[in-house]
Amino acid sequence: MKVLVPIKRVIDYAVKVRVLPDKSGVDLNNVKMSLNPFCEIAIEEAVRLKEKKIATELVAVSIGPKAAQDSIRTALAMGVDKGIHIETNLRTDQELQPLAVAKLLKEVAKREDAKLVVLGKQSIDSDNGQVGQMLASLLDWPQVTFASKVTFADDKQSLTVDRETDKGSEVVQVTVPAVVTADLRLNEPRYASLPNIMKAKKKPIETLAADSLIDAKDLQPRNTVLKVEEPAARKAGEIVDSVDSLINSLKNKAKVI
Amino acid sequence: MYRVSKLALRSPSLLKTQLFSTATKSSATQLFHPTEEHVALRQMLRSFVESEVDPQALVHNRTETFNVELFRKLGSLGLLGITVEPEYGGSGMDATAACIAHEELSAADPAFCLSYLAHSMLFVNNLARNGSHEQKLKYLPKACTGELICGMGMSEPSVGTDVLGMSTTAKLTPDGKHYLINGAKMWITNGTIDGKSTGDAFLVYAKTDPTQRGGGLTSFLVDKGMPGFTLGQKIEDKCGMRASMTAELVFSDVKVPIENVVGEVGKASLCMMRNLEIERVTLAAMALGIARRSIEVMTRYSQERKAFGKPIAEYGQIQKAIAESYAEYMAGRSYVYNFAASLELSTYGNGLDADGVKLFCAPMAKRVADRAIQCLGGYGYVGEYQVERLWRDAKLLEIGGGTNEAHHKNMVRDLRKSGKIE
Repeated sequence: MKVLVPIKRVIDYAVKVRVLPDKSGVDLNNVKMSLNPFCEIAIEEAVRLKEKKIATELVAVSIGPKAAQDSIRTALAMGVDKGIHIETNLRTDQELQPLAVAKLLKEVAKREDAKLVVLGKQSIDSDNGQVGQMLASLLDWPQVTFASKVTFADDKQSLTVDRETDKGSEVVQVTVPAVVTADLRLNEPRYASLPNIMKAKKKPIETLAADSLIDAKDLQPRNTVLKVEEPAARKAGEIVDSVDSLINSLKNKAKVI
Repeated sequence: MYRVSKLALRSPSLLKTQLFSTATKSSATQLFHPTEEHVALRQMLRSFVESEVDPQALVHNRTETFNVELFRKLGSLGLLGITVEPEYGGSGMDATAACIAHEELSAADPAFCLSYLAHSMLFVNNLARNGSHEQKLKYLPKACTGELICGMGMSEPSVGTDVLGMSTTAKLTPDGKHYLINGAKMWITNGTIDGKSTGDAFLVYAKTDPTQRGGGLTSFLVDKGMPGFTLGQKIEDKCGMRASMTAELVFSDVKVPIENVVGEVGKASLCMMRNLEIERVTLAAMALGIARRSIEVMTRYSQERKAFGKPIAEYGQIQKAIAESYAEYMAGRSYVYNFAASLELSTYGNGLDADGVKLFCAPMAKRVADRAIQCLGGYGYVGEYQVERLWRDAKLLEIGGGTNEAHHKNMVRDLRKSGKIE
């Protein structure tokens, strides 16, 4: 079974993000970029499926400028077999939006004849958390999102997935083909060992132009970002001297009760 | 082996230093990680060091214990045999990769990195370059996984720089099948792991013919458990490198089969020459790691700490400390990686710059760590803030693997011969 793993190169989680002076977006100049943490978890899950001989081939796909290949190389070094780079110069944190991404991934999934798509639940730059769901809908495949555990049945056709919801954990069973999005507790990603980093050198990365897969107008953003601002500075807290005082503050100042 | 998810680790403590972006593709950064594999190696190491090496550094320094479990993780990452051919279990990478590994590990725990160096450079690399196929098959695969933790014995209680003054001897037995080794070796990193017995295997230098000029210096493989081979003492109360085990090893009629001679009898100076260059450049790379971390810590601290209403980073003396440290670090880094790029592991003859990189970088690291302590003031004097440990660890680099004075001697000897500089 071929598994497709869409991944994204985003601003590193540890970077102190700054807004551009014209407020058109976040400053990406000279900023450290890394593989999206949830994508890393998705890659790890796919590699484990291959080790269990459930997946036969793993394909990583990433959309973005040439540098997106860095993330694909990391995926190859973790155990993915080949990579596809869909090239575009649209800003991947705000111009290239989830529906366009989902449409591109649908084409890749069909082209690669993938039976399972495993991807991160959201990217830490745009935090939309929509691609997996939209992709499943476009493909007309079942979806299980926020997966914290994936177990395949012996027939390798059906899988039981624990998913994390706001109310608690829920267990869902689906059959392939399917889309699964990875949540934080699904696994702990491995480090790429040096021998695997060396092996990755020989694995292929294919580059495709984004507008060769879907119509150029479908790539364009449907929402326009008007302004990006830093969040308001946190105000200092207030120390109260009694429960009554606390209730009063909560009611009249914070207005939450 | 797995790591804790980065998101789960996020903590806004003063200790967590921000990583400089390596996003710029200037020619300088090309030197420090010339190929994609080198870039991937450095990225993997940064990540590994942040989550696995940093958290354990202080406690192992305090208790003077060696982190065997972490060492074996280096094995599963393919780092222990970084310069060994894949057929013997290694990763087959070059001197630049070795420098990257040492620089990155040292930024968090130079002591742990020193044990890594003694194992991977002083034993593993030496055997890979000088050993026979059978010897390599016997030791390297297990040394590459970390099943065997190894070292090298050259210095003695009374002999350091004056290597040929060593008094450990190896006498051929009448039947010609064994050598009997007698003597003692001192300052052996990984000489003991548990503090009670010797480490697993060592390359030991001994004289087979004291009448000969040079004494017939020969390199032997000595295994733990060989009768007569014992731990003299674990060396305690070291100033720095405390998480690395250092020991005196004693040889009392240790019977070593002739199959354990590495290279040719009497020709060990060749083995030594071949290994000294990678040893010195990786020690210099360790100094770079110490310097980089010190710069990161003092830069971050000086932005947050205020005096007289403004961050101390706005005062000239702090600016001088940080700026000069950075420039010296980059000069050292460029020297090291430029040299590493030209270092062919199987040849030798570049001694001048091998001495040069260490002579420059070791004192530089000590100076930079010292400035970092000064910038941090009282906090710099305390273990939790890293820099006092880095300062103590840095000092060893001016002594081990060649003292500053040894480098002076060697470099003038080499410069006298060559005369003109290109």
